[in-house]
Amino acid sequence: MKTRKLFAGTAGLLAALAFGHTASAQETLVINSFGGSYEETHRALVITQFEEMYNVKVEVVTAYSADALAQLRAQRDNPQFDVVHFSGGLEHGAASEGLLEPIKPEELTNYENMYPFAVAGIDKGIGPMYSTAVIGLLYNTEQVETPPTSWMDVTKPAYADRVLLTDAASNTYGLLGFLMMNQVAGGSLDDIEPGLEFVKDILPNSMLVSKSPEIQQNFAQGNAWIAPYAQDYAYTLTKAGLPVKFVQPEEGGVLAPITVNLVAGAKNRDLALKFIDFSIRAEASKGWAEALRYTPTNRLAELSDDVAAEVVYGEEAVAKLVSFDANAIATNRAAWNEAWTRAIAQ
Amino acid sequence: MASASRSTNREPAFLLTPGLFFLIIAFFFPTFLLLAQSVLTVGPDAGELTLEHYQKAFADSFYAGVAFRTLRLALLITLICLLIGFPLAIIISRASRIVRSLLILMIVLPLMTSVVIRTFGWLVILGQGGVLSWVLQALGLVDGTVSLMRTEAGIVIAMVQVLLPFMVLTTLGNLNQMSPSLEEAARVMGAGFFRSIWHVTLPMSAPGLASGAVLVFALSISSFITPSLVGGVRLPVIASSIYQQMTGSFDWGFGAALSVLLLGATLVLMVPYLIATGRLGGRS
Repeated sequence: MKTRKLFAGTAGLLAALAFGHTASAQETLVINSFGGSYEETHRALVITQFEEMYNVKVEVVTAYSADALAQLRAQRDNPQFDVVHFSGGLEHGAASEGLLEPIKPEELTNYENMYPFAVAGIDKGIGPMYSTAVIGLLYNTEQVETPPTSWMDVTKPAYADRVLLTDAASNTYGLLGFLMMNQVAGGSLDDIEPGLEFVKDILPNSMLVSKSPEIQQNFAQGNAWIAPYAQDYAYTLTKAGLPVKFVQPEEGGVLAPITVNLVAGAKNRDLALKFIDFSIRAEASKGWAEALRYTPTNRLAELSDDVAAEVVYGEEAVAKLVSFDANAIATNRAAWNEAWTRAIAQ
Repeated sequence: MASASRSTNREPAFLLTPGLFFLIIAFFFPTFLLLAQSVLTVGPDAGELTLEHYQKAFADSFYAGVAFRTLRLALLITLICLLIGFPLAIIISRASRIVRSLLILMIVLPLMTSVVIRTFGWLVILGQGGVLSWVLQALGLVDGTVSLMRTEAGIVIAMVQVLLPFMVLTTLGNLNQMSPSLEEAARVMGAGFFRSIWHVTLPMSAPGLASGAVLVFALSISSFITPSLVGGVRLPVIASSIYQQMTGSFDWGFGAALSVLLLGATLVLMVPYLIATGRLGGRS
């Protein structure tokens, strides 16, 4: 009995040594992705190709942004990630907490090809945007004859009772859309009162939902003709067979970027930088637009006409995009939620 | 003799231990933490005693309005459950065995369905162009489509369906213990149908109705999934406001203060009610 145990233990130890040996022969990079079909696309566009090109192994941990941030905080002294992807602006907080490491322009071969806004924060630790969602207006192409051109169009009497707004307190895209309406109505990040008044004025003639499936449902049932929401979600609706199109209003669409960040103290700094550089190359940017309708942040990404028609694309269109300061959003969020909840309550 | 009586005294305590242990871990401890959180500061000088979270709740009439809606809806839901549940319980108690099993199954079925699926069922029925709208239009009662989604009426309808089993089952327990000969005696003595129910059946089932009402009230005052899915963000109730504070704004102190206020309000309403119905309750 004792001998058998000893034998089993030794065999296990040997096996562990053997495996450990093969694993160390190949460099391993640890990253996060967001799971589901997003992660599948992520693997196809970036991860698998990177593994083959550099003969390394990329270990993918499925963790949403908030989850990834929590793990980074917990592992501050001994980071397990090399590269972390964030959406929803969490990279700003992570960078100011010192969890992310600045990148120099010369460390990225694709730096010169990126739109300036996409690499604006790399000296502060905010990684490059490898693609970006855009908030603009979704409209029903069968009910709306002339496409909307302005955020103000949601006030048009023709759309009365057919305007769909998204809750700004519980939905990030809803918040970004609200901040843009606020800006168009004359407000700023220091003063959201004009935006609240704007929303209060149109609320009697509109619906307010909190989750994206409700948007699909209302477009499907014909209750919604026009809605401030995301370009990639318009594609989700189109794929579901709904007659929906996305436009960037003349005042500009709102950037909701997705970033690829270098973790401070990453074990494989050089490989991590190669991965980040690989993530922002034109082919990947183009792939994200084709698969999910995110706007390319690499200006060399060339889209076919049918894809280009469904995303904000090209120097001129991209120049209009509006970006809201993620730190200001983080600071004010609780107070805004409170003010918003009061403004919309019946 | 003495040792025997001591052991019988200990037995109930022994049986209570698992339940008590669970209650302490899962209820008293978190409730205590919540209480603590509601009176402690957050931010740079965290951990000091403060009343700022409570002041925020009373700063203007917004949360009073939310609390008022919550209580009003809970009372309405309880009342409707009483009005539907009591007659239903009488029918079930008198039905044949097969009919009774079927009726009980029908009543309990919603409890066995996930709350999300159940609520999405209501969405299909109450929503714009839903079944209800279609029926009303077919009957010529309304022009165009109607929707009870995002209305208080919709919340009440969906909540009554969920909570009715609690009322019916507790009342049924009482009615099953009541001998049918009591009512027969009343009828023989000349009391009509309604009089015999009012003077015999109702008092006999009062304890069941009372505890059913407490359950329904407590569950509706604290529920947030159904009110937020059916009522939407524009009809906040206390529980959905707490949820929003905890998960959306991350203001745990204020969320805790709202929770404590909700708990306080529930106790203030329930304790006198329980004492009163306990006296009424015919535990003779």
